[in-house]
Amino acid sequence: MKKVISLVLALAVLAMSAVAFASTPVAATELEYKGDLVLMHFSTSEESEGNGGSDGFRTTIAAWKEAHPDINLTENVLANAEYKTQVATLAAADNLPDVFLLQGMNTIAWANQGLVMDMTDIISASPYYADYNTAYFTPFTTPDGKIYGLPVLTGGTCTIVIYDKAMWAEKGYDAFPSTWAEVEEAAEKFSADGIDTIAFGNGGQWQLNSDFVSTLGNRYTGPEWFASLIANTGAKFTDEAFVKCLTETQRLFKDTKIFNADFNAVTNEDAREYFISGDAAAFIGGNWDWSYITAVLKESNEEKYNNMGIAVLPQPADADKYPNSQNIGLGYAMAINPKVAEDPAKLAAAIDLCYELTGPAFSSYVAENYALGGLTNAGDVDLSKFDQQTQDFYNWSYVDTDTCEIYDSYLDSAIWSVLNTEMQAMLNGEIDPETVAADTQAKYDEIYNS
Amino acid sequence: MLDSIRPKKSTIYLYLLIPVALFIFTVFMPLVAALFYSFFEWKSGPVKTFNGITNYKLLFADTTFWASFGHNLYLVLACIIGQIGIAFVLVLFANSRLAKCQTIHRTFGFFPSTISAVCIGMIWTMIYHNKYGILNWFIINVLGRPDLAQVWLNDSAHVMLYVSIPLIWQYIGYYMVIMFSAIAGIDKSIFESAEIDGANGFQTAIHITLPLIRNTMLVCLTLCIAGNMKAFDNIYTMTRGGPGTASMVMAMYGYKVSFEQTNLGYGSTISVAIFVLSLAVIGGSQALVKRATRGLEA
Repeated sequence: MKKVISLVLALAVLAMSAVAFASTPVAATELEYKGDLVLMHFSTSEESEGNGGSDGFRTTIAAWKEAHPDINLTENVLANAEYKTQVATLAAADNLPDVFLLQGMNTIAWANQGLVMDMTDIISASPYYADYNTAYFTPFTTPDGKIYGLPVLTGGTCTIVIYDKAMWAEKGYDAFPSTWAEVEEAAEKFSADGIDTIAFGNGGQWQLNSDFVSTLGNRYTGPEWFASLIANTGAKFTDEAFVKCLTETQRLFKDTKIFNADFNAVTNEDAREYFISGDAAAFIGGNWDWSYITAVLKESNEEKYNNMGIAVLPQPADADKYPNSQNIGLGYAMAINPKVAEDPAKLAAAIDLCYELTGPAFSSYVAENYALGGLTNAGDVDLSKFDQQTQDFYNWSYVDTDTCEIYDSYLDSAIWSVLNTEMQAMLNGEIDPETVAADTQAKYDEIYNS
Repeated sequence: MLDSIRPKKSTIYLYLLIPVALFIFTVFMPLVAALFYSFFEWKSGPVKTFNGITNYKLLFADTTFWASFGHNLYLVLACIIGQIGIAFVLVLFANSRLAKCQTIHRTFGFFPSTISAVCIGMIWTMIYHNKYGILNWFIINVLGRPDLAQVWLNDSAHVMLYVSIPLIWQYIGYYMVIMFSAIAGIDKSIFESAEIDGANGFQTAIHITLPLIRNTMLVCLTLCIAGNMKAFDNIYTMTRGGPGTASMVMAMYGYKVSFEQTNLGYGSTISVAIFVLSLAVIGGSQALVKRATRGLEA
């Protein structure tokens, strides 16, 4: 009997392993290099559960390792927050790994210091170049036109409104309101029932920037303003349009009943639980939050899962640009340490790894399994095999909305540190939007104009 | 006889070599390195440019840094009163003849100081939680005062007090253990004489116990100041220095400058400043205490 149980268990484990290690075919390029190659990234196994980009990344790495058994690919995997600290420390010590993930905001500073390899020619020579979505290269391109990385993982929105259709229908709304004025009206009704209209978490200070202001700003300034800020050709944080965005942000959080009272004390992880539990009728976050909420509700509350709706940020009354926009992009790119070039065979291996982790093997895997897109166009995605939520999310992300930039994919991190810290106090009414804008501009000038 | 079992000087030096080398490598070298790098502009990469005392000039004009220093002083004061003060009172109670189960008091009192500060921070974040926290639950459901419930960690005016409370709670037991051992060393007959002379508990504590454990209290004071001048982990977990910079402390600010703003030169300057200011506060407080208790010692 014991043997039978053991056999059944062994078969079950084998079957589970087969599911867990679904593979994707990488090009088995002939590589001369035999030896160690170090890759540092943040797609942990925990992160990959329910996150298509991370799962695709890990799966493609496994396939590449299998295709190149003579290369000992060592992975240094950290959670995202730790990764950012670690990679900054390694950069300061000039001790970056062979291949790593470069954040858009670090591109110019690290390129100036010779920490990342100029990959312009490598990218042009890529066998997949024709299928690249070249717009994704912008955060990794310096003003002189050189490109320092191959954008990686999936193009995901950073600002999405997730709402419960049934809860909003009960208050008389067939769809999520398209203006903040309507949301304010709805807030009166929801708060009478003790329900938060929209849950938001800015406890980590970065969320208001990435998940809110980056899109709301585009509604006031349009994309030209931020493009000018990146190129340092005249736009300023103190420009009237951006200050108006900050003023409206402050009003919405401080003077209305729309958001949960503890928006400054909880993180996005906490706030999305308010939505899941029904304490809030909607939630604003990024694509990672959408992945989490859908995964949880699918398991625990199918009715609520089927009632989930998604929408763009409502339009403020005094904003007149791009009401259907959302910020989307690839925040990281595969980058190579220039020291790798000392060994041409090793460099060829590193380049091949970068090509494959951003190429069709990755893109087709995430398209087929998650309906997500990456740098390389995987062709028309057959959406019919996905459920309605996934189809809606795909169309909303890549087809039905206008796109704008994610602010903190660009410019020096010190600028965002000042803006994020001061905006948190601004939401409490302790500092006015003009001062926040002036202090942020002062940091910008210190870095780029002094 | 003693000389025969006394190890050779060379043996003593050999044993000392490892800890001293470790100390130099882990404490002294980083400090010297921080001092060296504080004279450089060093931002997000290996390139360092010597800029003299520019970082120090910046530091003197940096209002956020000095506000953070003020928050550290607040923490120090709150914890001297809260940790050492409450610990002293509790030790007196626990040492009283009326107290039962003294070992349990010691064990349970010491227990919180064995938990990591990050866990303590998370526990208290849950206690303070606006919707699900026990504090607001108690205020609303037990006291029946929903008007007093609030988002505790978003109250800029009092957030330093709220982040101090977990620190106080965590280390009361730590100082209790130190004081217990100091009081255990006092001759019992002194207390008995005082009791016969009619001294009450308060008089015994102030005029007998405190002067006799004065040096231990100075050690406690030094540990308390040193610990709170470098406070970081529970604040990082609870507020990250927010809202805005309302609970920013020096170490947290140094971390933000070094790693969020990738300005390692200025981050090193802040580290040096933390060291110097901590020494100044510890030295100043010890001098004050010695001066204030000079009469008691005599």
